[in-house]
Amino acid sequence: MPVAPSPTRPDPIAGALAADRLGAPSVVYFVLSAAAPLTVVAGVVTTAYAVTGITGLPVAFLAVGAVLAVFAVGYVAMARHMANAGAFYTYISRGLGRPAGIAAAWVALIAYNALQVGLYGAFGAAAIPLVERWTGVSPPWWLLSLVAWALVSVLGVMRIDVNGRLLAVLLTAEVAVILLFDMADVAGPAPAGLSMETLSPGALFVPGAGALLITATLGFVGFESAVVFSEESRDPRRTVPTATYASIVIIAGLYALSAWAMTVATGPAKIVEVARRDGAETIFVIASAQLGGAVVDIARALFVTSLFAAMISFHNTTARYFFALGRERVLPAVFGRTRPRTGAPKAGSIAQSVLGFLVIVGYAALGLDPLVQLFFYGGTFGGFGVLLLVFATSIAVIAFFSREPSGEDVWRRLVAPVPAAAALAVMVFLAVSNFSTVLGVPEGDPLAWILPSVYGVAAVVGLVWALVLRSGQPAVYSRVGLGAKAATIHDLAR
Amino acid sequence: MLADDFFLVAWDTTGTGKPRLYLQGLTLGLAGALIGELVLENRLTVSGTRLQLLDHLPLRERVADATLADIANSPQHTDVRTWLAYLAQRSLDDVTGRLLAIGLLECVTPKLLKHKQNRYFATEFGPAVWPSTRLRLSLVRRQPLNPYDMLLAALVDACGMTDTVVEDPAHRPTAHRYLAAVLAAMPQPLSDLSRHVSAAVGDAVLTYRT
Repeated sequence: MPVAPSPTRPDPIAGALAADRLGAPSVVYFVLSAAAPLTVVAGVVTTAYAVTGITGLPVAFLAVGAVLAVFAVGYVAMARHMANAGAFYTYISRGLGRPAGIAAAWVALIAYNALQVGLYGAFGAAAIPLVERWTGVSPPWWLLSLVAWALVSVLGVMRIDVNGRLLAVLLTAEVAVILLFDMADVAGPAPAGLSMETLSPGALFVPGAGALLITATLGFVGFESAVVFSEESRDPRRTVPTATYASIVIIAGLYALSAWAMTVATGPAKIVEVARRDGAETIFVIASAQLGGAVVDIARALFVTSLFAAMISFHNTTARYFFALGRERVLPAVFGRTRPRTGAPKAGSIAQSVLGFLVIVGYAALGLDPLVQLFFYGGTFGGFGVLLLVFATSIAVIAFFSREPSGEDVWRRLVAPVPAAAALAVMVFLAVSNFSTVLGVPEGDPLAWILPSVYGVAAVVGLVWALVLRSGQPAVYSRVGLGAKAATIHDLAR
Repeated sequence: MLADDFFLVAWDTTGTGKPRLYLQGLTLGLAGALIGELVLENRLTVSGTRLQLLDHLPLRERVADATLADIANSPQHTDVRTWLAYLAQRSLDDVTGRLLAIGLLECVTPKLLKHKQNRYFATEFGPAVWPSTRLRLSLVRRQPLNPYDMLLAALVDACGMTDTVVEDPAHRPTAHRYLAAVLAAMPQPLSDLSRHVSAAVGDAVLTYRT
């Protein structure tokens, strides 16, 4: 970290380094563009109505947003005391110890891979109507998914990220379209009128509410990434917290509004039926009642570009995650190397692509539904993993500050983190007990306990692996949670 | 000098004229080599995360002396990572400038797309390929390395270029094993410096954005 310049004479070093630092608005843009709002509104929200059959999603976004905002108080405070502010597992290993950190790293690896792979399903489903319109032929979803997969795989190894400016333009267009659709929905309400039913807290107290909480958490994935930019931000003490809170407020507001507006257009009683009938087309069908065909077509194209941007963003995030773990030697060292010419985290990128290919081909062979069984199951399964990570991090924050108060006030150390952890515990409990509703399967279906227990198994394997490392390779063990900075720790074994 | 040799390893000056390493890694590696030149000449030392000035006495070389003067003039900055980030901003211009001045390089500026990377070609084949040949032979034949070549090998490895230097996959396992032994035996300041370069390169991969 650069030292603050002395007030008497300008500091050329700090000045030169500050030249390309980021302000809060840029960080918010980075966070939101990876979240790909149209993917959530047009894909996640509508499929959630169809699969869960419950309508309290708008208020769930507000509730989860409130919990995450309180959680963020301690989270961003702890980020200031971390050498390597980034992924959740680094906080967990610092707060709760390295075994818990390694377990969390494995959970996170599964969760991010699930999120990424799920997007291939949505892309296939969303691109079919466009391809039909333009060419007249209707290819199977998996063919379109494989085309997207091939592009993402090649771009990933070549380290071609979507240009930041292009992402910003796409993000702005997406948000504009979402707001336009919301206005159209509200302007043409169903006979029920401007019903506030789905926004009332009562909508959360229904059987299966845990499903809403998982879905809403999925919408917020990425809010945690503002801290990654601490070292690049203009004033880490202010830029990162501001960007984190702003992202949470924008995501909560935008998604709650959009999810509510859809129920206004169809009437709260009919949204589930409409979403089940129209699938990935739901929001376009609803909006076309008020808006012209051209606007809806632009929105359809934006949905596909939004999905594609999200795929690349999640692919790169996952590949870098493999890379960070490879650098720490928690994964084999090959994951910690890059392709010299491009600097792409090659092994992580390839591992991710291989998994994506196997899943697409497997789903195609089994004839499963791309939107519900790939995108929504993958998304909610990944979202549940992220919820577990946020919960574990909330405990880690409390544990960290109880050992090292680090000059933070009691509000940041205890008053905010404790209720946040309690609320997250309730969310995790509801999520686990309502997992059958998330999947839209009857209670007692094996899938409803198999999927959540995957994380349990991963955590246990991670713990065992941590103990093996501690006794067998103390040098590797001492690096856990340091990410790329692991390289600066001396190898005790040498 | 060390940074010149690092450049000749990391840039394909005898073929395409383009870099073999992505720009962020290249500039950080060069920055590490610029600090390394001064550490090898006992002007600076690295201890843990701190960069310390030992001696102001100039080396009578323009780039190295400018670097030394910058570090001497900002004693409030002692973090190696700060200096790597700062020097990385100009390391490519500094080092290519030095090689152009001694006539070992020629620069070809692209005519159509001005924003594209300059191409650099070596004027003499032998000196241009010598650094990477020397490293390859030492690593494959397990010959002892002097501190200068140890640091060069460590910086090349920190930037993930060892396999680029050791082209033959059959030789790589031997080379990697020997390199690990070399790195373990390296003097403390040199090994601390190369670890920081490695961490900076890793962080650059993690926070990459366009």
